[in-house]
Amino acid sequence: MSADASISSKAFTAAVFAAAVFSAWHAASLYLPPYLLPSPARIVEAASAFFSSAQRLSHLWATLLHIGVAIAISFAGGAALALLAHYANWSAPAIHQRLSPFLNAFSGIGWTLLAVIWFGVSTPTVIFSIAVVLLPFALINLREGLIALDRELDEMGRSFGRARWRMFTLIVAPGLLPFAAATLRIMFGVAWKVALTAELFGGSRGLGYLINLARQEYDTDMIFTVIIFIIISVYLADRFIFLPLERYTARQFAGQASR
Amino acid sequence: MTGVLRRYISRPWPMWLADALVIGVVALWAYSTQTLPDYVLPGPWPVAKRLVELFTDWNFLYHTLASTLRVFASVLIALVIGGGLALLHRALPVLDWVMRGGIQPFLSSFPSIGWAILAAIWFPPGHFSIIFVQVAILVPFCMINIAEGLRQIDREAMEMARSFTRNKSRIAFKIMLPLLAPYLLGALRISYGIGWKISLVAELLGSTSGLGYLMLRAQGSADLVTVIAACLAIVLLFIAGERLLLDPLARKFSAKQAIN
Repeated sequence: MSADASISSKAFTAAVFAAAVFSAWHAASLYLPPYLLPSPARIVEAASAFFSSAQRLSHLWATLLHIGVAIAISFAGGAALALLAHYANWSAPAIHQRLSPFLNAFSGIGWTLLAVIWFGVSTPTVIFSIAVVLLPFALINLREGLIALDRELDEMGRSFGRARWRMFTLIVAPGLLPFAAATLRIMFGVAWKVALTAELFGGSRGLGYLINLARQEYDTDMIFTVIIFIIISVYLADRFIFLPLERYTARQFAGQASR
Repeated sequence: MTGVLRRYISRPWPMWLADALVIGVVALWAYSTQTLPDYVLPGPWPVAKRLVELFTDWNFLYHTLASTLRVFASVLIALVIGGGLALLHRALPVLDWVMRGGIQPFLSSFPSIGWAILAAIWFPPGHFSIIFVQVAILVPFCMINIAEGLRQIDREAMEMARSFTRNKSRIAFKIMLPLLAPYLLGALRISYGIGWKISLVAELLGSTSGLGYLMLRAQGSADLVTVIAACLAIVLLFIAGERLLLDPLARKFSAKQAIN
């Protein structure tokens, strides 16, 4: 194994790589018809058209709303189930050995197709499809968090007082925060992957609906624009919102056990 | 046999409760569908019959097998490509920014339906197009897990290995591979799950085989029996793969780990 490379050589390689990718893309777009591979210039044009159209931007807000509501619902549901299994031991096998594996193994498109039949092509269909796929992620991750909670801390807490609610708000909840942050981060990543599919098959609004229209019209410019926009915004949100949140909660609240 | 039976009967009561709950849900399903039409919610009996047909009747088995084989193939190809990228990253530290700032976030953030649409535009419909989409979805998961494994490999262990031999393939097979095994298994487990749960989306556009295609076609004709049976078949295949392939592998390799 060679020694670690210096920062400047890494940056140089990254710049060369980016330049190579762009020139390859540009060169290929000269030979291929635009419906197969639009040139970078066409994408810039399509992107500026996208961001100046209020009607198209409304699809972006719709997708963000779908994702936000779905994450909130499945996080709350997953937390409720994980806490129920933790505090009411008798329910643990039913939740962790029956419900959780079932939900975890159920296909995302299966939920979407079923939801379309049950709720029609609508916003509830999209939110249901995303939330039900995210639920096992929340449940499994928060369960790990509850297991990893520091036992010593729990014992100390009980020696100070027996009020369960105080124990929960002062010890358990803060101890869970790092896991909650990590869970949110995972859920956000998965939500984007599922949301577009749900919108494409079951939605009448949102970016998935938009790229379905573009697909039917062979508007590859629009497809590329939406995909590139999603890649950039998911990366930025992960890098500048969810990763810092995860690190901050881990620093502030993590007990010895989870460090 | 009686021992197994006795152990089963003397399980703690919450386990019985869990099973009773499952039976209760199925009973409630059966009861509530007596008055509901089949296109809203079919009863458990027709769904169970179709579920059996998915594994026995050739017209259905064809789709089940197509999906299963493609998921297996995609997982293996993704493991090789993801592992290759992770190894390349480790071997050439100068690529650090390209990998961590370019290729990996690009692949991780790419929407799965985006791959499916692009493949439908770029390639003729068929196995290649579907496997391409599934591999593209799975590669980042494999890459992240294997890269993490490579990071965790003990430098001391590598140093020790190098002091004993300079044969690189011996080091790779005797030291690196066993140490990497848990992470390879993690990558395998995650991508197997994602393969069934998310990457079946590849079969929805421009495909004429597979459980995804079957579900979409059935949904189009309001044939809920087939949609639900296909969903349950996926649940069964997923759990069977975990129990029969991944868990034994995990036991085997964690036993080796313990000796190390």
